[in-house]
Amino acid sequence: MFQVYLPIAEISVNLLVMLGLGAAIGFLSGMFGVGGGFLLTPLLMFSGIPSAIAVATGANQIVASSVSGALVQWRRGNIDFRMGWVLIVGGIAGAVGGVLLVGLLNRLGHADVFISLVYVIFLGIIGSLMLVESLRAVWRTRSGMAATGRKPGEHTWIHKLPLKMRFQRSRLYISAIPPLILGTVVGLLAAVLGVGGGFIVVPAMIYLLRVPTHVVVGTSLFQIIFITAVVTVLYAVLNHSLDILLALLLVIGGVVGGQFGAKAGQKLKGEQLRLLLAMMVLAVSIRLLIGLVVAPDDLYSLAPLAAG
Amino acid sequence: MRCALCLSLAPLLLLASVQAVAAEAPKPEQVQSDISTREISIQSNFTGIDIVLFGSIDFSRTLSPEEGPYDAIMTIRGPSRPLVVRKKVRIAGVWTNGPSKTFPSVPGFYAVLASRPFRAIAPKDTLRKLGIGFSNLEFGSAGGEGADDGFRASLIRLQQERRLFQESDDAVSFIGRSLFKGSIDLPVNVPIGRYTTQVFLFRDAKLLNQSQSSLQVYKVGLERAVYTLAFRYSLAYGLLAVLMAVTAGLLAYAFFHRRD
Repeated sequence: MFQVYLPIAEISVNLLVMLGLGAAIGFLSGMFGVGGGFLLTPLLMFSGIPSAIAVATGANQIVASSVSGALVQWRRGNIDFRMGWVLIVGGIAGAVGGVLLVGLLNRLGHADVFISLVYVIFLGIIGSLMLVESLRAVWRTRSGMAATGRKPGEHTWIHKLPLKMRFQRSRLYISAIPPLILGTVVGLLAAVLGVGGGFIVVPAMIYLLRVPTHVVVGTSLFQIIFITAVVTVLYAVLNHSLDILLALLLVIGGVVGGQFGAKAGQKLKGEQLRLLLAMMVLAVSIRLLIGLVVAPDDLYSLAPLAAG
Repeated sequence: MRCALCLSLAPLLLLASVQAVAAEAPKPEQVQSDISTREISIQSNFTGIDIVLFGSIDFSRTLSPEEGPYDAIMTIRGPSRPLVVRKKVRIAGVWTNGPSKTFPSVPGFYAVLASRPFRAIAPKDTLRKLGIGFSNLEFGSAGGEGADDGFRASLIRLQQERRLFQESDDAVSFIGRSLFKGSIDLPVNVPIGRYTTQVFLFRDAKLLNQSQSSLQVYKVGLERAVYTLAFRYSLAYGLLAVLMAVTAGLLAYAFFHRRD
């Protein structure tokens, strides 16, 4: 009942399970205000979808959630388009590199392990940092610390680089090189992990580029739309590992789940949300790590010989 | 479909019995076969299918089905493609794919059905010549490092676990004097393409006659459109996926966020 045959993944999945998975991720991303790709891709992998397909399809799903998120931010005037475009230029280069890398590793039979390993490292680091930070925040919850913002007139090494550009909305006059590099790194991660990369872009823009906090989320979402769209198309063309039917199910679930998540998120305090998210990120990381180090039931595996 | 087949077989049976009585010197047995389904279409609700192979013996010498002197083996073979078998090894505590072997031509589906354990029906040499049984399958010369190391055995085992290789010893049954049938369960993951079926008739460990037919498995409707688009017009496919996601995002915004 409700079994759906996925034409590209070539497996049969349960319609309700995939809709539910999309809804759960949509709920979480609505609640925490994150893209959710870093949870979606591992969960797809846990449910038996080959990792190359999970990554491509995960990226496709994020396009949908970031479009509606970016529109909300755009209406509030929170997108620095100039910064966004610079990030995108770097991001496309990174995405091409990432897709080619995953394609090559897939042919060699190492894509699954590589993707898991990168996930374990990134989720482990970010989860731990978030856990420490949110625990601290919960402790000193009454002292009411202000967010670390940019101190006006402060200069760092970033200001000494050439190719300066004026980013009006962010009230910055800095070199285009750091955002370009940041974009490249995020594009690479987006392609390898099937994520939007918000969890890298947001802190990097706040702490490294000193972009005002209210512009960061909108600009990040704007840039994510394009990076994940490029990653989706690249996977479709170069690796044939995009399953549009699976993406459709996840998108439908995600759109609906997102609305409830946003409402639920308003009822929780910021530091509680971050603590919850940190624990979830760590749990996924540990689950992936276990999959890597525990001796597999079957040492042998079978794969079609990919062309090239 | 099945009924039409019964009707078409009826004159054969009649003919066979008339011949058996009338002929002085018995003519050699001939076997004919057909499949319940010549075309199998995979759509999004496809969860596998049972197909039935029919065989009939012309000039049968059986008087009753119980004392039939005949044995039958049926094989069905799907389109071949190259497969890689990889063995995991532990590197720095992490299990990753190590040595591998490539088998250039592995049937995407292979089943053997028999009226009794097929190894008892015919001698080893005959089975090998006819390519009956997993151990007699040819996968082409395996590329990869070193000796076999259980790669071939693992390939067969993994294909069996996916139900793409099946051996079934009592799946063929005789009905009446000269009709027999066997049923095969094609699982959800069957590859598309042309399948050939072979029916072998034995008596006293000797091959009397054989017959071949074929069937086609293909994707239809949405499945076919998606598959064709994804592999032939992959740029359009990727752009379509992005368009789908953007539209969903816009709709979500229009419905839920307009007043934000």
